[in-house]
Amino acid sequence: MTTVSGPNDDILIKAGNLRWKLGENFHDSLMESLYTEASRLADRAVTRTGAQQHFNWDRTLDQLLTGRWTGFPLMVALLMVVFWITIAGANVPSALIASLLIDTVHPMLQTFGSNIGMPWWLSGLLFDGVYLAAAWVVSVMLPPMAIFFPLFTLLEDFGYLPRVAFNLDHLFRKAGAHGKQALSMSMGYGCNAAGVIATRVIDSPRERLIAIITNNFSLCNGRWPTQILIATLYIGALAPPALGGLISASAVVAVALLGVAITFLTSWLLSRTMLKGEVSTFSLELPPYRPPQILRTLHTSLIDRTLLVLWRAVVFAVPAGAVTWLIANIPIGDQSIAQHVIALLNPFGMLVGLNGVILLAYIIAIPANEIVIPTVLMLTVLSSGAANYGEGAGVMFDLEDHRQYLAVFNAGGWTLLTAINLMLFSLLHNPCSTAIYTIYKETGSVKWTVVSTLLPIVMGLGLCFLVTQIWRLLGGAG
Amino acid sequence: MVDPARALILAAAVSLLLVLVFWPGIGVLARWQRTRLNTRRILIEDALKHLYDYEYQQLTATHRSLAGALSISGDEAARLLEGLQSLELLRAQGEHLVLTDDGRAYALRVIRMHRLWERYLADETGVNETEWHHQAEVKEHQLTPEQADALAVRMGNPSYDPHGDPIPTATGEIPVKRGIALTKLQPYEHAEVVHIEDEPDVVYAQLVAQDIHPGIHIRMISIDKDKVQLEADGIENALAPIIAANVTVVPVDRTETIERHEATLADLPLGGSGRVVAISRACRGPQRRRMMDLGILPGTTITAEMRGIGGDPTAYMIRGATIALRMNQAKMIHIQRNEEKAG
Repeated sequence: MTTVSGPNDDILIKAGNLRWKLGENFHDSLMESLYTEASRLADRAVTRTGAQQHFNWDRTLDQLLTGRWTGFPLMVALLMVVFWITIAGANVPSALIASLLIDTVHPMLQTFGSNIGMPWWLSGLLFDGVYLAAAWVVSVMLPPMAIFFPLFTLLEDFGYLPRVAFNLDHLFRKAGAHGKQALSMSMGYGCNAAGVIATRVIDSPRERLIAIITNNFSLCNGRWPTQILIATLYIGALAPPALGGLISASAVVAVALLGVAITFLTSWLLSRTMLKGEVSTFSLELPPYRPPQILRTLHTSLIDRTLLVLWRAVVFAVPAGAVTWLIANIPIGDQSIAQHVIALLNPFGMLVGLNGVILLAYIIAIPANEIVIPTVLMLTVLSSGAANYGEGAGVMFDLEDHRQYLAVFNAGGWTLLTAINLMLFSLLHNPCSTAIYTIYKETGSVKWTVVSTLLPIVMGLGLCFLVTQIWRLLGGAG
Repeated sequence: MVDPARALILAAAVSLLLVLVFWPGIGVLARWQRTRLNTRRILIEDALKHLYDYEYQQLTATHRSLAGALSISGDEAARLLEGLQSLELLRAQGEHLVLTDDGRAYALRVIRMHRLWERYLADETGVNETEWHHQAEVKEHQLTPEQADALAVRMGNPSYDPHGDPIPTATGEIPVKRGIALTKLQPYEHAEVVHIEDEPDVVYAQLVAQDIHPGIHIRMISIDKDKVQLEADGIENALAPIIAANVTVVPVDRTETIERHEATLADLPLGGSGRVVAISRACRGPQRRRMMDLGILPGTTITAEMRGIGGDPTAYMIRGATIALRMNQAKMIHIQRNEEKAG
């Protein structure tokens, strides 16, 4: 506190009194006149020429891309093309990397370990645990991201993505969100961590938090394979073989659409409850179209997005691989830790229509959704003793054909209900640790990180519980 | 296996219980927090605020007015006043209740925190303006004077709260009340709104809805016992006298005519253009700064370019950039239509 004393008394008192007379708008008027003066100076000094030509071309394109009848179909078509190129293009390199890292290098490492006389537990921990988890994440994650992100960045560079936000804004506005959330959602279909980073384009704090918290409801790259596999095995099998593919594809799309619906519902709820007091502003610049700079785009999207995300995923996958191997191999009494935990989780798992194996797999696989199915397979073999399959305790593996998958899953006691719940839980569970870490980095807040992590789990368990109990009430098996 | 019907019923019961406990505002937890807050200290502080408020408005506070303001019984009010007297915050002069210097200083500290917090909510959060007062009512009892000073410094030592009430300085200085009630203004007189009353809620909500904010310019058109007809920042507006009485204005000498704000940006048809006259006072804090950052300033020419698929948002050409704004924002921007280009 300042005490007024000394020879300057009069001036200070006078200033203090004058301050009251300024009124509350004086900061505002000051700012307004500063801006006005700045723009006056700019108008005097800057001459604008030659803008007319570009301008018309832009408007024609805009009328097409944001038109009442053409905007939506073009948008859906473009996104489909991007997804198709990603899926079709990623298969071959994914298989290549997998055969290199998992089928070739992994046995080589094992041989190398036994040649130099490594104890079995050290080679198991390093090569079967740590190496395999990291290799798995790289082979499943790298190719789709290396295709999806550059394509997306090209669209962004060209100036199309802001038009998507413009087209969809009225839907998002009703949910209390920002049109640009459409972009972070689409990015989330590639990777939620990248989706969370992509929310940086949303410059309003409230809407940005909404986009961050709900990004996990976009099925990411690591979850699509799980959805497709389970839908093919259990839901497609319900239909006659000719329709199987179509039915299972529809089931996967239905889960993805459920994710979109939940995104809107959660955005609406959050903006009216927890996030009510956050600052909210809106503005959306529609920059002029320009030819994309392909080389620079490739560089930034590969370095900034793909490699950054991949590196974080590998860093988190390494301890997960070690944990997986350890709990499957360290015995307490006559069983491994994994078997004890599975037995412990099983009653709760059954209550929500899953089982102990799946819950444990989701706990171990927090670092990466990619390793959920390999972990489930390994744990199922471990706990049910389906000894024909697998590579030994703690070693993740994949299977060649669908009958083998069914054999393992059935040995684990799976039913159609388990499959449906697994698909739902795969959509609604905590973000992977890479995404959680990214959320923390982006929001800088423990509170919002915890909310983004726990909200989907609570929703997922609740939904699975409801589906299971109603299913059983109606007499369904399982 | 658990019987499904029983499991569902149990789950429903548990979720109901959770809702009853945690529901914001009416849940058991919220109620418990409220009763916990309703301590003696809060009663004392609220009583001092009431007494000071009456003194400031040159009214006479009585133990009945106190009971009314704090929603307590007459007996409780009497006991409270005794307590205040024994703390030497108050002395009675016959029927009159007069604050001691200590009492006045204490009241001003509480008021300072209340108004600072309202200023903070208005400028730096997205909290709705009808909520400011209620949140500040709680916060004023929680902040320490040091926290209040830190907050004031961070906001650049604001001198008025968003309703136009002066914020007492840390040393407890506050200017004398200024202005007259809007209903005292004569036709054709000009005035600036300096204060609007934030209680009761109904009146305040009405004023907010009619776009009456501190800082706007008023020109009285006519006034009778049923209706006050006026021009607020260039827009014609009518208020009930009972509502208008809650607005304080300072008459200003104004001979030149105020620019009429006949339309808002939301009224522009596609292809039409207009010149910005002002940004509404209802748009404040980060919202207002964003608009200015975009170059939306008095004098800027804006053209409506394209409309979103659902009729909202609309893209405008502002200083050579295409920027989409939502309908509720466009309504905040007062413009004058450029007739020759509209169409």
